[in-house]
Amino acid sequence: MPLVDPLVRDVVVYSSILVMLSTGLTLTYMTTKVPNFSHGGFATIGIYVTLTIGMLFRLNPYLSAPLSFLISGLVALSMYLGILHPLSRRGASYLQLMIATIAFEFLIFSIINIYADYLTENFGRLVEQARAVFLRKIDYRIDFSPLASALGLGEVRGLDEPAMFFIAPITMISSIVALHTLLTRTKFGTGMRAAIENPPLAEVVGINVRLAYAISWFISGGLAGVAGSYMPLWFLTGPETGSQILVSIFAASIVGGFQNLYGALLGGLVIGAAEILGTAELATALGPWIIPYRPVIPLVAMSITLLFAPQGITGISWPSLSRVKTSGATD
Amino acid sequence: MNFVLAVTAQLAVYLIITISLNIEYGYAGIPHFGKVLAVAGGAFLAGFLPGRVGILLLKLFPHGDIVNIVCGQEEAGSLKILTSLDEALGQYIPCNNAVIDWLGGVIASNIGFALLLIIITLVSSGLLGGFLGFITSYPGIRLRGDYLAMVLLAMGEMLRIIGLNYEPLVGGTLGISVPNLYAWAGGELRFVVATVFIILIAAGVYFYAELLVRSPLGRLLRAMRDNEVTAESLGKDVAGLRMRTLVVGSAIASLGGTLYALYTGGVIATTYSRVSWTFWPWVMVILGGTANNVGTLAGTSAFVVFRQLIIFYKDRLAGFVPFNIVWLDTLILGAVLLVILLQRPEGIIPEKPTFTLRREKLLSIIGGDVKKGVGKEEDS
Repeated sequence: MPLVDPLVRDVVVYSSILVMLSTGLTLTYMTTKVPNFSHGGFATIGIYVTLTIGMLFRLNPYLSAPLSFLISGLVALSMYLGILHPLSRRGASYLQLMIATIAFEFLIFSIINIYADYLTENFGRLVEQARAVFLRKIDYRIDFSPLASALGLGEVRGLDEPAMFFIAPITMISSIVALHTLLTRTKFGTGMRAAIENPPLAEVVGINVRLAYAISWFISGGLAGVAGSYMPLWFLTGPETGSQILVSIFAASIVGGFQNLYGALLGGLVIGAAEILGTAELATALGPWIIPYRPVIPLVAMSITLLFAPQGITGISWPSLSRVKTSGATD
Repeated sequence: MNFVLAVTAQLAVYLIITISLNIEYGYAGIPHFGKVLAVAGGAFLAGFLPGRVGILLLKLFPHGDIVNIVCGQEEAGSLKILTSLDEALGQYIPCNNAVIDWLGGVIASNIGFALLLIIITLVSSGLLGGFLGFITSYPGIRLRGDYLAMVLLAMGEMLRIIGLNYEPLVGGTLGISVPNLYAWAGGELRFVVATVFIILIAAGVYFYAELLVRSPLGRLLRAMRDNEVTAESLGKDVAGLRMRTLVVGSAIASLGGTLYALYTGGVIATTYSRVSWTFWPWVMVILGGTANNVGTLAGTSAFVVFRQLIIFYKDRLAGFVPFNIVWLDTLILGAVLLVILLQRPEGIIPEKPTFTLRREKLLSIIGGDVKKGVGKEEDS
């Protein structure tokens, strides 16, 4: 008998991954005011870094997380500096910025596909499947039976848990804490918040707004990369994963309100739990045919939020729920 | 010849879709990233409706043809012979190919029946498209454009998931055949007839768009795009206007999807992906120049021809490109979009300024005299 219900494990890992993604998306939305449609693409980069590290080089798959942070972060940074910043300096509307992020997503998508083809052709034997990446078998397992016997529970078998079950939530929590510390306890973070609140005024007092925004893109892309690097160790991924999970990321961010990072944390947890538990409950109630319709759940959550509380859960004034705010996002 | 025909048909289908996108994005400023939804809706309708309606119609109006549909293989032990219309309707999905073949035979000998089916299909396609446009935009219609964009993009995925998993709709992962409603033209000629038909509808849509953007409504759309607050302050219902634009745009796009499915003769849910039917039209509109129907025509032609050439010369190109040519497609999509956005955001043919009415016309509207050159205002 496993120590933890598999469903709970799924919820914990998937929600953690989603939180890392929605936090990054919300961060760049707060700074640059553009929903980043290539956020899923940054995560896909992480997937392939893990494949390369774990299967091609046969190294510890968790080494991929810092590397993915760096690579995806640099890709995001180059998108901001090379495309978004020049565009917005020229007075492009947010519509044009959105289209630019979509275009960038397609560059990432094609390069990932070319890379996957390259891996299959040249290292097919080593990487096994480059288009359907599922590496749970190379994840470590943490054994709890010594602990159980130390506590005097006797010899209990099967008390090992996949390492991801611990590493994903730990990474998620520490990245949120790190972001919180950066934004509230450091001078740079204060400057960044000022740049978010009022860019012209921040510039007047000598804050480098461009640098602050660039750093936000680097962090956002990096977090997406880390989240992506964990994905193949938990579920089946591929070149399309990024664009598939994009709907869930948007839903998590919108449910969280798109205005602050703690909202993104809540939104990620809510959507992650709703997707996993909702699908499981519906499958027991209605039958397994419902499982492929899982992507409908974040969509419904997103629609309900936008209809009844467009500012998200953090925007609702809970004490006076009778008067739900409807302003804000409606300008 | 076949190449020219294929390019023309695809060009006309894409033109229908890009014109509708140009109305939505170019003129009204709505970032419709869920274009694929209406197109897939129309195509799925072509897979779902005309065959079944055809059989129902044959039931209502008894027809001379003897029903004898052979389905499955004797060796495989799955042989079924359908001898009544009810059976054909019941076995529509499992015996899809056989039923569609038989229906094609009936259509071939009865042009009136075919035309009736085409009209029914197109009208319901337009209605379905409008309905899809309404429900998908409803959650986000009052919000700022970027929220609406996210909602529409997310909604766009839904129909494909349903189409892939719910077999009675379009046969799930196997796909479904569409009745050959042009069978009366006979043989290869059906493709010519189908293409001409799509071109006619595309021309109609183009003409409609031209009329629309020259009308007061067209000016209102542009006013909304350029400054929502001002439009609202002048008493215009911005959310309602957006909604109507999306309903009309989706209805047109749905027609495009239906015509495409009727032309190719089959529907499979995987074809209706975000890339092919949302992002390709976007590239075409932006390449050609937004808020400009001539530009849209130019952008669509340039891109469809270019893509078809890549596909046509695939084997010859393969030597020069060190990877699968399929990815060249998406790579070019991304690169071209970025280059246009950075270097020439107005597209090949920029938007023209709105022509104001001639002085005589203005004066006649306000009731003044051309010769005097002053309106009634002075008198009163």
